[in-house]
This record gives sequence, structure tokens and C-alpha cells, in this order.
Amino acid sequence: MAYLKKDMIDFHKAYSHMLRLRVAQEELVKHYLNKKVFSMVHFYIGQEAVATGVCDALKVDDQVMGTHRSHGHYLAKGGSFRMLAAELFGRVTGSAHGKGGSMHQVDRSVNFTGSSPLLGSAVPIATGVAFAQKYLGKPGVVAVFYGDGASEEGVVYETYNLAALRKVPILFVLENNQWSINSPIKNRRSQGYNLEKIATGLGVKYEHADGNDYEDVYTKTVKLVGSIRKGGGPAVLECLVYRHMAHSTPLMEEKHRTGDVLEERLKKDPLKKLKIKIVMSGVLEKKLAKEEENLRQKICTDIAWALEQPYPSKEELYTNVYN
Amino acid sequence: MSTTKNGRTNVREPIKYADALKEATEQLLVSDPRVLVLGLGVPQGTGGVGSLAQIYPNRVLDMPTSEAALTGLAVGASIGGLRPIVFHDRVEFSLLASDQMFTQAAKWRYMFGGNGGSAPVTLRIVVGRQWGNGPQHSQAFYGMFGGVMGLRVVIPSSPYTAKGLLIAAVRADDPVVMLEPRWLYGVKEQVPEELYEVSLNKARIIKKGSDITVVSYGDALFAARQALELIGDTTRVELIDLVSLNPIDHKTISASLKKTRRLLTVDTTSSAFSVGSEVIAKAVQGGVEFMVTPQSLACPDVPCPTSSALSEFWYPTKVNVANAILNILNKPKIDTKLTFEELHMAPTVTL
Ligand SMILES: Cc1ncc(C[n+]2csc(CCOP(=O)(O)OP(=O)(O)O)c2C)c(N)n1
Repeated sequence: MAYLKKDMIDFHKAYSHMLRLRVAQEELVKHYLNKKVFSMVHFYIGQEAVATGVCDALKVDDQVMGTHRSHGHYLAKGGSFRMLAAELFGRVTGSAHGKGGSMHQVDRSVNFTGSSPLLGSAVPIATGVAFAQKYLGKPGVVAVFYGDGASEEGVVYETYNLAALRKVPILFVLENNQWSINSPIKNRRSQGYNLEKIATGLGVKYEHADGNDYEDVYTKTVKLVGSIRKGGGPAVLECLVYRHMAHSTPLMEEKHRTGDVLEERLKKDPLKKLKIKIVMSGVLEKKLAKEEENLRQKICTDIAWALEQPYPSKEELYTNVYN
Repeated sequence: MSTTKNGRTNVREPIKYADALKEATEQLLVSDPRVLVLGLGVPQGTGGVGSLAQIYPNRVLDMPTSEAALTGLAVGASIGGLRPIVFHDRVEFSLLASDQMFTQAAKWRYMFGGNGGSAPVTLRIVVGRQWGNGPQHSQAFYGMFGGVMGLRVVIPSSPYTAKGLLIAAVRADDPVVMLEPRWLYGVKEQVPEELYEVSLNKARIIKKGSDITVVSYGDALFAARQALELIGDTTRVELIDLVSLNPIDHKTISASLKKTRRLLTVDTTSSAFSVGSEVIAKAVQGGVEFMVTPQSLACPDVPCPTSSALSEFWYPTKVNVANAILNILNKPKIDTKLTFEELHMAPTVTL
């Protein structure tokens, strides 16, 4: 659904896409707190502009892969929310039959190819998927999401090199939220660290985007993916973002964060930013409120459905190990 | 317990497994300037020793998210004369450093015929079950670690052994992997205040008995302890904590089997290539004349799922262990329903 020109972006539609991610997770948070989610979770609240901005710039044939924090990536690519909810509740009708849980998102019907919580692991795998795509003469490109923590794994640097060497049609989407669980980036990198130099030094294109700004992410993705599609080789899109919640719980305040405090994070909330933009362009706030209410209702209906779903039976333990 | 200067005995409160490890770490830092601790998030609390970073900011170190490099750095630092303790919050993360653990540190002494010194690094690696973590976050790989020659591999099953093994590991002139079942972090026990060592290569007899030897380790041993409580009269059961997977203390096991001639092993990993299989194989090769075919209780030969509806059937419970014992002793089964908490939440009991 890539828009051709920047001025053709339908911001209202983009806002609805982002809002779906936000509301879906807000509602899941409630159930997590009510102890209905027996799966380790990592909420994506605050980072929605990245998943949505990137996925809106992709085509249906393009594939996406992710991480432990992939509710948003999955939904932005068009993944079924009710199956995601059922998966988090451990039900048999979940997207992975309850075997995976939150950290293992998949919906191949919309080309969300999979996600893994092992940091960096999906980066070479996604590159392999893209390699196969090119090898088989198929049109799609692949976008892989990973964090600043994951980007420190050796295999990620190795993959930049390999992808450039083979001109693999892959977009590396690095979501830099500046934390690896509780480790701030300053504990992990020297002052001279410069990813742009690393990536370009390895022959990979590099762009920096404001991950709180849908438009910035979207337009830069369009540009990079355009070049990747034409055989121009891989690119890194590094998006600076904030995760609003704690690493793996819906906690909003963490005492060890300084500077990057909740107040600052909320100020830069990507949804707020986009909302102001569309209201300025003449969309009525009342209309938006109504739309949000409808969306929330739909999400709650899906959750209610998911909570009614049966658990997997004991026999399911033994299925899907081998063919 | 410890004795004060005026001869009175102080009874310390039981402490948690995690706190026993912290106490050992602090005492090691105090007593040996070569000791340092490193790992992702360690100064912020990962590994349970975060507060020590305030006292020793240059010895309790945060790291980039780069397991291969940070483990390699620690291996090198140990060759260079330091005694690093590396912390990996899950075994899956440590595997990014498999070369450094299995092929470098483990072989350093041997491959230079002893002329290259050794790599006396200590790796604290968290393993095993935790609700909702599933196929990629709850593996243990006990058998794999046990199969690496040149590595010492120990598994603390209690706060007492946790503290003593960590101290022995850091003092040992060999690389030691300590596999710590996360399931046990909240279990409490009285632990001596002073520095003490628990042998890195000896099994421990937890309870003497006459008619059946139960061999286990880690969180499986915890289930076995609880099974004994369920059974009630346990004079017939001898319970052995393996403690070490490399080497396995076959001597202690065979001495016990000579007496009982019945054997049950309990693992919390898949049955295939389990530690139990190794114990049984060596016991049979050792010529024990069993009265009943040795039995192994372990997890199914499939990955561990995430949904609690499925993981419920993955781990042997205390009821399963009790019934396996009773079956070998030819006694009637017991039928106890376990609660959701008992099945899925980590225990907080005092041993
Ligand atoms: C190989 C590996 N090491 C460590 C971890 C533990 N871990 C899980 S998420 C996380 C933080 C990752 O940070 P980042 O990649 O920036 O993603 P974020 O959580 O910030 O979205 C860590 C260290 C892991 N999952 N995999």
C-alpha cells in the first residue's frame, strides 16, 4: 500500500493503523495484570510509528520478521489480532497453537514470517529469507526488526557484510530505544561508536529516522525499499524511539531511567504527534474519538473471543515437532 | 550457624538461593582481588548481585549485548590471571558463546599439554523452567554441558550448595560452568555465614535409605525432596544429589546401589540423552544386579511449550516422582491433585 509521493500520505489512515497497535496492547495489558496472560510479554507501546511506518511502505508480497517485542510488527503487517490474543492466553486457536506465546509471532498468510526472542538471531534468518526470494526470482523484499541491544550481537555485523556481498534485498530496521533490558546504551558503547560508519563501511546503506514520527519512518522506508527492490543491496534504517513501559512488564515508571523519563517519552508519543497533524488538517476530534471507541470495542470483542477458546489438549504436546 | 567470640551460637535466618549466590559473590570480591563479575545488566541487578556494583564499581561490570565477545573476554582474562565470574541470564544466550565455553576454555589446559596454563573462568548460567517462556527460553542442555570434556559442570540444588559451589568454582584452577535452575531462586535454607566450599566433583547423599536409590540434581532433586514428603515413610529411599555432571560421581552412586539394587533417576529435561540415561547406563555397565529394571523419569522428547495447559504435562511433578518410587517399591500409587501455583509457580519454601 505504499503511497507514491510524500504529499499523498493518508495520515488519517496511518493514524488508525497506529491506533490499532496501541489500543490492542492497552487492552492486553489489562489482561496481563489480571493474570490471564501466561506468556512472557514485551509491550511495544510507544514504538508504533516504526512498525506502522515501515509496514505501510511495504507490499503484500514483502515479508517481515521480528523479535521478542513483535506484537506491533505482526499487527502492522496485517496479522490477526484475535489469533495473537488467543496465543497470549495459551489457547489452541492462537497463532502458534499456544506453543509459542508472545515472543513467537507468526502469520504467514500476511507474510509475517516469524519472530524469535534470541537477540540478533532473526537478522541472518530474515536475510536468508530474502536471499531465497532473490534466488527464486520472486519480487518481494524482507524487512527485519531488531533493537539496539540485538544490534550488538556479532552475528548482526556479520550479516551486514554477507547481505551486502550478496546484494540481498533486505531492510534492517533497527529500533533504538536506548535500552537493553536495564542496561543503558552508554554502558554498552564507546563514545566513538558510530553505526552509520560501520554499516556504510561494510557496504550497507544507512538512514537515520525519528522513530516517533510516522512520516519520517514511512518516507525513508519508501526510499530505501525502492532502492533495495531495484537490486541496490541492503540498507539499515535506524529509528530512535522510546519504549513507554518497562522491558517486560506493563510498568510505566522505572527508577533507573534518567533523562529518558516517562514525561519525556509521553511528550514525544508518536500517536499524539500524528493526531495533532490530522486535527490541524480538519478531521474532527469527535470523529476520532468515535473511531477510537469503535476500535476498542472491536478489540475487546476479539479478546472476549480469545478468552472463550479451548486450551490445547495434552496430545498437542507431541504435534509439530517433525513433519 | 556460626559461633561468636563469646562462644554463643548465632542461628541465622534461612536465606534464598539467589541471596546465597550474592553472599558468596560478595565474600569472593572481598577475599580475592582477582575476582570480578561481568554480564549484561549485572550492575543493575541481573544475576542478583547488582547492589555490589555500588561497592565495587570497577569489579561488577555491565557489558554490551554481545555474549560471544564478553565470554571470550572473560576466558582471556582468566588466562591472563583474573578470576572472572560471567553471568548469563538464560542458557540460550550463553550458547552464542559456545566456542568460547566448549572449544576454548574447556580445552585450554589440555591442548597445550598443560604448558598454556588454564582458563579458570566461572560461568553462572541460568537454566530451565519459568512460566510462559517456552521453546526458546527454558531449555537446560544438561547433557550437552556434561558431554564437554575439560569443563567442570555443577548444578546447585539448594542455597547451601549454591554458595559453596560458587566459592569452589571461583577458586578452582579450571573453567567451571554452574547451571542454576531459575526455578530454585526463591527456595530458602540456612547457610553458614563464612566462606566455605562444596566439592565440585562429589555427589551428596541427601537422605539415607535401604531399598531404592533416587538420583537427581537441580530442580528435579527439589521435586524428589517433595515427593518424599508426600510418601511419608521414607526409610527405604536413599536420595542422592549428583551436584556435578562432569565428572559424575559414579562411586557414590554404585555404593548406594550395592545396598538398594533399585534405581530411579529424575531429570527436568527430555528423556533422550538425559543425565538419568547416563547414570543408568554406567550403573548397568558397573554390574549392579538390579532387583527391578532401573527407571528414568524425565520430560517428553519434544520442545517445552509455552501454554501452561501444555507445560503442565512437560515437567515431572512431585506426584509423578512419588509414584515412580512407589511403583518400583511395588506399593500403591497416590493420587494428589496439584494446584495451578504448585504446577507453574516457582517455589518459595524453606528446606
Ligand atoms: C542472545 C540474547 N541475549 C540476551 C537476551 C536477553 N534479552 C531479552 S530482550 C533484551 C534486550 C534487548 O534489547 P533490544 O534488542 O534493544 O530490544 P528491546 O527489548 O529494547 O526492544 C535482552 C538482553 C536474549 N533474549 N537473547
